[in-house]
Amino acid sequence: MTDPFPERTFRTDLIALVPKLRRFALSLTGNRQDADDLVQGACEKALKNWAQFQPGSRMDSWMYRIVQTLWLDDRRRHKVRGTAIDPEDAYLSDEGKAASLPEDRLMLEKVRAAMLTLPEGQREVLALIAIEGQSYRGAAETLNVPVGTVMSRLSRARENLLPRLGLAEGRRQ
Amino acid sequence: MTNSSIIDREHLAAFADGELSPEDAAAVVMHLADHPEDQAFVDEVMAANIALARAFHAPLQEPVPDRFTALILPETAAQEAVAARVLPFRAKAKPRLWGAGLIGGAMALAAGLAAMAILPGAAPGLSVGPVAAASALHQILTATPSGEVVDFGGLGNLTILASLPATDGFCREFEVISPDALQLQVGLACRAGSAWTVDVLLAEALVSDPAASGNYVPASGGDVPTIDTWLERRGAGLTLSPAEEAAAMAQGWMP
Repeated sequence: MTDPFPERTFRTDLIALVPKLRRFALSLTGNRQDADDLVQGACEKALKNWAQFQPGSRMDSWMYRIVQTLWLDDRRRHKVRGTAIDPEDAYLSDEGKAASLPEDRLMLEKVRAAMLTLPEGQREVLALIAIEGQSYRGAAETLNVPVGTVMSRLSRARENLLPRLGLAEGRRQ
Repeated sequence: MTNSSIIDREHLAAFADGELSPEDAAAVVMHLADHPEDQAFVDEVMAANIALARAFHAPLQEPVPDRFTALILPETAAQEAVAARVLPFRAKAKPRLWGAGLIGGAMALAAGLAAMAILPGAAPGLSVGPVAAASALHQILTATPSGEVVDFGGLGNLTILASLPATDGFCREFEVISPDALQLQVGLACRAGSAWTVDVLLAEALVSDPAASGNYVPASGGDVPTIDTWLERRGAGLTLSPAEEAAAMAQGWMP
């Protein structure tokens, strides 16, 4: 059965995805303002090209990809202009929403800061798999790279990230 | 276990990420029992996954900011703004626009297509009095659920706001936003037997434009009648729930 109102369906599906897109964008940019600007740009692009979306395929992957492409474009432009994101300057706090205990909050701050130090390719893969819960195959489709590339970027991301988090220290033995 | 003494870290991470088949995962579990250093790595990966998910979780707990609603569902955003301005002449706030989040852009619904066919140009499709059985308005009043936006030809977008039981049948409250979004009309149509009658139309200029109210009763400013006056005359009860409305519609609005 064909949907008699495909654009309306597209728009309602898109608005339902906004919270996840904002989370994904936040994990890429590390600050709320840039994340929302990124999501806004991605939604504008999606609305302009909505007819290219294949109904029945995964809209989240389609949108993650638009967000990721725009983010990379922005990063390149910033690099050309010579500005770099300094993790110390970035607004990383969520005002304690995710954690109530101070040491827990400190740990989450550490996670956010560590994420910002990762190269783009590793950050994207880690965000899609660890935060957005995509499968390796799903992430590969979103990023349009082979599954093997996803796996090697993921292990490099973890090699970089895990020592910074100090999660191994607290364990017994 | 013959060959389980070495499992590479990619495979262990895939286990932590839930990527392995049940058989492969079971093999890793067996292996981990004898290899605490690998168990430690799996624990660390899992702890990092959880920490990452928590670190960026905040947007999922927040309502969608207005800038995105305005961009993606401009019609809903406009209606919410209109609803805020209209409130004064609706003494009793009614549960309105069920499922407003589901209303899309300016798409013609099936009834809207009929409306455009039947309402050529500036034909007065909306006036107080009996509603012709062949008209688009009759069709919309009979078959459109509350909250759904219908393209009402040249007159703009019509939305049924609520359905209510009345002494002789049912009443439906509706609003029409003009195509230029400058004027809002709120009306009440009631059904007795098989015919709908528009009891009242109230108009309000959404942007101050005194010329816009035309023949209609101005709905704002000063001592003006409200829809509630007409609802009371019809002996209207409480707004029907979506399920009750659907049932009434299925029974052809027979009391």
